[in-house]
Amino acid sequence: MNPTEFAIFLTIFGSIVLFGGAAALALGWAFRGGQFENFERGARSIFGPDEPIGESTDAFPAFVRQNRSEAAL
Amino acid sequence: MLPLAAITPQQREEAARERRAIDASCRVPVLYFCVSAVFWLLIGSALAFIASVKLHSPYFLTGSPELTFGRVRMAHLQAVGLGWSALSLMAASIWLMCRLSRVELIYPRLVVFGGTLWNIGMILDVVGILRGDGLSIEWLDAPRYVPPFFIAGLGIVSAWTVATFRRRREPHVYVSQWYILAAMFWLPWLYTVAVTMIVWLPAVGVVQPVVNWWFGHNYLGLWMTPVALASAYYLIPKIIGRPVHSYYLSIIGFWSLALFYSWAGMHHLIGGPVPAWLVTASTVGSMMMFIPVIAVAINHHMTMLGSFHRLKYSPALRFTVFGSITYTAVSFQGSIEALRDFSEVAHFTHYTVAHAHLGAYGFFTMIMFGLMYYMIPRLTGREWASSGLIRLHFWCSAIGITIYFVALSIGGWWQGRMLNNPNTGFDRIITYLLPYLALRSVAGVLMTVGHLAFATLLTANLLGWGQRRLGGPTYFAEPTRNIPPIAPPREA
Repeated sequence: MNPTEFAIFLTIFGSIVLFGGAAALALGWAFRGGQFENFERGARSIFGPDEPIGESTDAFPAFVRQNRSEAAL
Repeated sequence: MLPLAAITPQQREEAARERRAIDASCRVPVLYFCVSAVFWLLIGSALAFIASVKLHSPYFLTGSPELTFGRVRMAHLQAVGLGWSALSLMAASIWLMCRLSRVELIYPRLVVFGGTLWNIGMILDVVGILRGDGLSIEWLDAPRYVPPFFIAGLGIVSAWTVATFRRRREPHVYVSQWYILAAMFWLPWLYTVAVTMIVWLPAVGVVQPVVNWWFGHNYLGLWMTPVALASAYYLIPKIIGRPVHSYYLSIIGFWSLALFYSWAGMHHLIGGPVPAWLVTASTVGSMMMFIPVIAVAINHHMTMLGSFHRLKYSPALRFTVFGSITYTAVSFQGSIEALRDFSEVAHFTHYTVAHAHLGAYGFFTMIMFGLMYYMIPRLTGREWASSGLIRLHFWCSAIGITIYFVALSIGGWWQGRMLNNPNTGFDRIITYLLPYLALRSVAGVLMTVGHLAFATLLTANLLGWGQRRLGGPTYFAEPTRNIPPIAPPREA
């Protein structure tokens, strides 16, 4: 095995070990940290008091203007 | 998470202040990445137009070697694939990671420096290819002096995304964060290995195409796809105000993508001189991709159920849902294309080109547009200046990619059938394809009109021409009284 072939082998083998190892470590960390214990809490974690569940947060500009002018009346 | 009725104005204002501070911390780098991305999108669109016209009018712009089809097509792929796509998804990753981690971005200038290195790499890449320095390796066409800029720029952005995650104040890791972290780990590794084994320390023989398509396919599946899905998993629930239908399914979707996608690239080499087991394993991996795709499809559809009327009001939601639906379609198609029997016809034809554009544009690009429509007003404090231009953008992009996909799929399929028939002359196949290739140019023009509309909107927003956003909570607008109320969230 010449140096180039050895480097290629090392790269491929290293990739497999690193990719697989990183995935296994991440999964283990997530289990230990309780990331998979309460799915409902996970789904709701992106909402907050300023952007709560039940409120839309986006619209076309035209509707924004219409809404504002209606509110001003 | 408090019920809506129990939220006090003080709690609301405090949370809004925190969100505004997070947005302000990443304003400069995220806008810089967005502007750079749109610049490369316009360059890529112009190059695509030249390349497309040359396919049905071969005497178009033949005066200079810089504008020959081979160079222009390579430059187009780099401009949209590494310019628009990479920079837009880096913007998405930084903003989403800050928001989901509930922390401000520290040292934003360092991220800007990373983006500048990427932009320098892009200029050298596109100019170098047009000057004749391209390497003619799909997805790795960049001249050999370019990768150090990409690796350094990507390294900074990836490291900073991980650093932001490590400083998080939100203990739960939302599914979008999983996708972003994975993409930020995967691409630096994929790119460095691919460049090392193909450009700097070239492997011998068939190892090169194997590494080439391991990288090329994973660039789409382990870099563009995760961040686009991360964006959809954040935007759809946020905009309609309802949690994702099944968080369990979303986690299944992420881990099954992580497990199976990296096998899939070898189906590009069906019929090639590579070990049969390698292609078979890749075909199996492609079939297994039905699992994450179905998980995402069920989740997005069920989350949207009862809220489809909101597509009329929200530009971000409209682009994002278009992209999500396309993700299901293009992924199913991709798995079927990995079958040997199907490839006998579709391989090496325009059918594959149609599929690639459906994924890169119909899915990824549309979701990135959706994210920018949502994100940029929150960063600049200005709303979009013209709803008419947003509509023009959406319909030009949507109709453009539809024409593109339908025309090249039909033309490409019959091209494959004719190529397999030894009694059909090659000149007849070329003549048969001409109307489909002309339609492709028309579709490209439509999409470019959409891009120009978006670039105009972005420029107007940055110049402060849009209406100033109201103070208080950061949401874009209260629901108008004409919109039906949001259905209550369902338990997963």
